[in-house]
Amino acid sequence: MSLTPTQWAALLPLLYPVIGGCLVAIMSLDKDQATTKWIRAAMYGTALLAVGATFWYLTDLWTTGSQPTFYQLHMDRLAQFTGIFVVVAAALTILQGWDHFHQEGWVKGETLALLLFSVSGMLLFAATTHFVALFLGLELFSIPLYALVGTVRARSESAEGGMKYFLTGAVASSCFLMGGVLIYGLSGTLDLAIAAPVLSAKGLGTDPLVLVGAALLLLGFLFKVSAVPFHQWTPDAYEASPHPIAGFMSVATKGVAFIALLRIFPVAFKDLGVVGVKMQAVLAVLAVATLVLGNLTALVQTNVKRMLAYSSISHAGYLMLGFVAGTPAAFNGVLFYLVIYLAMNMGAFGLLTAFGLVGEKTTFDDLRGLGWKRPAMGVSAAIIMLSLAGIPPMGGFYGKYMIFRELVATGHVGMAILGVLASLVSAYYYLRFLVALFLQSPGAEAERLASDRPAVHAPLAGASVLVCAAIVMAGGFLQAFLANGFARRALVDGLGLLR
Amino acid sequence: MTWLNSHPLTFLVFAPTLLGFLIMALPHSLGRLSRLLGFMGALAVFVLSLAWLLGHGGTGATIFIERAPWFTLVGLPVDYHLAVDGLNLWLVLLTTFLVPLTMLGTWNSLKDRIGTFAALFLLLETGMLGALMAQDLFFFYLFWEAMLIPMYFMIGVWGGDERRYAANKFFLYTLSGSLLWLVALLYLANKAGGFNPVLMGQAASALPFSVQCWLFISFAVAFAIKVPLFPLHTWLPDAHVQAPTAGSVILAGVLLKLGGYGFLRFAIPIFPAAAMHYAKPLALLSVIAIVYGALVAMVQRDIKKLVAYSSVSHMGFVMLGLASFTVIGTQGAMLQMLNHGISTGALFLLVGMVYDRAHTRMIADFGGVAVKMPVFTAFFLIVTLSSIGLPLTNGFVGEFWILNGAFLSGFGWGRLYASLATSGVLLGAVYMLWMFKRVFWGPENKDEDSGTHHLHSDLNAREVAVMLPLVVLILWMGIHPRTFVAVSEAPVANLLREANAPPVRTFVLKPAVHQAPAAHEAGPEAHAAKPAAHEVHQ
Repeated sequence: MSLTPTQWAALLPLLYPVIGGCLVAIMSLDKDQATTKWIRAAMYGTALLAVGATFWYLTDLWTTGSQPTFYQLHMDRLAQFTGIFVVVAAALTILQGWDHFHQEGWVKGETLALLLFSVSGMLLFAATTHFVALFLGLELFSIPLYALVGTVRARSESAEGGMKYFLTGAVASSCFLMGGVLIYGLSGTLDLAIAAPVLSAKGLGTDPLVLVGAALLLLGFLFKVSAVPFHQWTPDAYEASPHPIAGFMSVATKGVAFIALLRIFPVAFKDLGVVGVKMQAVLAVLAVATLVLGNLTALVQTNVKRMLAYSSISHAGYLMLGFVAGTPAAFNGVLFYLVIYLAMNMGAFGLLTAFGLVGEKTTFDDLRGLGWKRPAMGVSAAIIMLSLAGIPPMGGFYGKYMIFRELVATGHVGMAILGVLASLVSAYYYLRFLVALFLQSPGAEAERLASDRPAVHAPLAGASVLVCAAIVMAGGFLQAFLANGFARRALVDGLGLLR
Repeated sequence: MTWLNSHPLTFLVFAPTLLGFLIMALPHSLGRLSRLLGFMGALAVFVLSLAWLLGHGGTGATIFIERAPWFTLVGLPVDYHLAVDGLNLWLVLLTTFLVPLTMLGTWNSLKDRIGTFAALFLLLETGMLGALMAQDLFFFYLFWEAMLIPMYFMIGVWGGDERRYAANKFFLYTLSGSLLWLVALLYLANKAGGFNPVLMGQAASALPFSVQCWLFISFAVAFAIKVPLFPLHTWLPDAHVQAPTAGSVILAGVLLKLGGYGFLRFAIPIFPAAAMHYAKPLALLSVIAIVYGALVAMVQRDIKKLVAYSSVSHMGFVMLGLASFTVIGTQGAMLQMLNHGISTGALFLLVGMVYDRAHTRMIADFGGVAVKMPVFTAFFLIVTLSSIGLPLTNGFVGEFWILNGAFLSGFGWGRLYASLATSGVLLGAVYMLWMFKRVFWGPENKDEDSGTHHLHSDLNAREVAVMLPLVVLILWMGIHPRTFVAVSEAPVANLLREANAPPVRTFVLKPAVHQAPAAHEAGPEAHAAKPAAHEVHQ
């Protein structure tokens, strides 16, 4: 079978990471990798190259404006947007991973290979409405992530977290599959985008089975974005996994799940009248629950990674509020929010690596006084944490602003009030990070230990944090460019919204 | 230079931030250089602001204006809109004046990380100036929130023992008000199609009155927290007492003013009817703040805490003046904001100077300071008298106008509340003079551990140089207040006319038989010829 150039163009972004992943997997067979630095460097270099090639290819597609397709794989603007999003997150993960895995003393090529396969799966997941391709993408990015959570096998709790994630994730995947089967069985088409009109044409729009199918599909997405009540895996999985992987999971998984939901849900289910309305109501209730629970639970955490996990749950709540508003402008806000969220969360997890916190030593107490010792990291931490809390002039404020504005415009004033109250609560635990960094001096015990250990050396993680802080600040001042030039065009050309 | 000529306000607002970032990039070991650099920069901003804003000679409505479209997000345009006019001219100058003065006054107070402190101070100056000048509500909101960040770190890093608690309380308290305000702002912007206050005012007047009231309440709560108005004042004593001297001075001198200024600039013009509707509760809370603040100040044992509660009392006067909806009351509030910035700023500086020497602020630890520090005592006395409101000092003029305005206001409660508030002046004299007596007069406290014992030197040349301009201003504002309120008279009168404020009452002594018809005629006449603020004073 020979492919046309446009078909190749649609496939190549998925192939680059896979090729890179295979190469790294072969390289990681070398048993000297623990002792020989250049082998490790070559693996990381290959991974970066694969990610860089994908990035270059996608930006090229973006600038030329072509939107190639390969059967059910639509590499349109929205998919390109997702691709760039995922690839940037992966690049930051690889950079931070180099430092983090060296700190942990567990540098293995398999980690990178798994990461690259996961990237490819994410690209597929966000680029299709065909159910089988969707499920393929979902599993292709999830299964490597289950393994990545437990990648540092020397830590027993790492395996525990990976197992928890895998078991709950498997249940969610089966629900997703069951939902798809129901929809397929009733409509006779696997393409979810045309399933809705077919169902309404058959007069099945109000059938309870359709509702069950749609709900099960939604469950699969909500599990991936860690919305309440499908959030319990999040803190355990984040705490168990290496910092960069936790960052990647929090950003990329959530991002692609939201974008795929965006592609299917409002567009495909628009025709389903009653079911659509019911789903909207379910989303509203769950968004409120996610915001309240995520924020209140984050307040009482002593471990920074668990705090960030609950914070990522609460951010899922804000993003769901965008779906509750449901206008094209709100989806624009959601995409903008995701871009800033990428920088904020990759930066926040990168900070842990940059400050050299390893293993279980990731409590607030372990951060005390570090802001003054590493001023550049301290300033970046201030920018990132205040942005997570939604304080202007940082980028995070504009994400919330756009979503809240659409909520108010569509008459959900109560939801908007709840949202701002949630972000008030969140300010407290983000400030706690800064309190530890700047307002508290390190304990005597920590000082003694620090003087025994060699100084933390994490140049790549530090650089990635600086990049993240710069993006967050840029989001505050070039907000119109990011929102209108980047996020909006993905919606306009990809989904045909906002035209 | 052509860029500077057309963008003086942009320069004034953002030059401090640029310098602040530069200072942050300097290594810690260059702290002394950073401090000097920061001071010189702030001084330059002050000189330039004087030269540009006063030298312009404009007495018209708007002295400077810079306006350009900034960006459009989700369909709402946001303007880059800075302006200096009669309402904010002197508040802007007060800010640029207090920043270098405070830096000089607290030159040796901090021992570590002085470079970072100077940088944060400059960032704060940008926030304050931006909030004062911004005319677009979104733009204003950005500065209003961004201002919290440097202040948070100033309190939290360099503050006293309870600094973390105080800093968090300050931050979250203020944030809670402004986040709810943001929802109201979005609601209104949605109706108005933008953040221009004029458009918003038009949109607001078309809304049902109950909605207007809710929106006004959310505006008012955000501003009242900043003022702070009773019962939203509880963050203030903590923040003031825990903040380093420089932080307290700026907090009292400028940040609190932004609350009153917000009422005058945004809340009242956008919702005139709702503001009038809530004038009585606002005035009642102001009177409670005046009396309650004074009573609580009376029983404080810490001088700084006493000054902090006196702030609550004094800012209550500002709110009473605004709630009176008379020209003289509002002008008095404008002047009282400046007064409070100068007098309370000076008090915090003086308390800081004595704290640097004695390392205590407890009133009981002192006694007989006048013998040891005569120059200091003289300055403290002048500032104390100004804070009490002695005639010929600034405090008298502001409080007199406000009480006068409340008394004359067309609202039925005016006379009662004015009389109640007058007791605040009396109580002010009690707590200030009592504190003064215990600290300065009397026999010298010979106790080894006492504060007086540790006072080895009187004010040095630097500290005198800081206090002199403040004293000059105190007297100038007391003797010739017109310098400071002339520019705001037209905008204030205009504001009240557009708000449809009830006409002031007049009290004409006439034979009893003619009383009824005379009172009938007096209303419109008085409305037509409102006495200018300074005329009433004279």
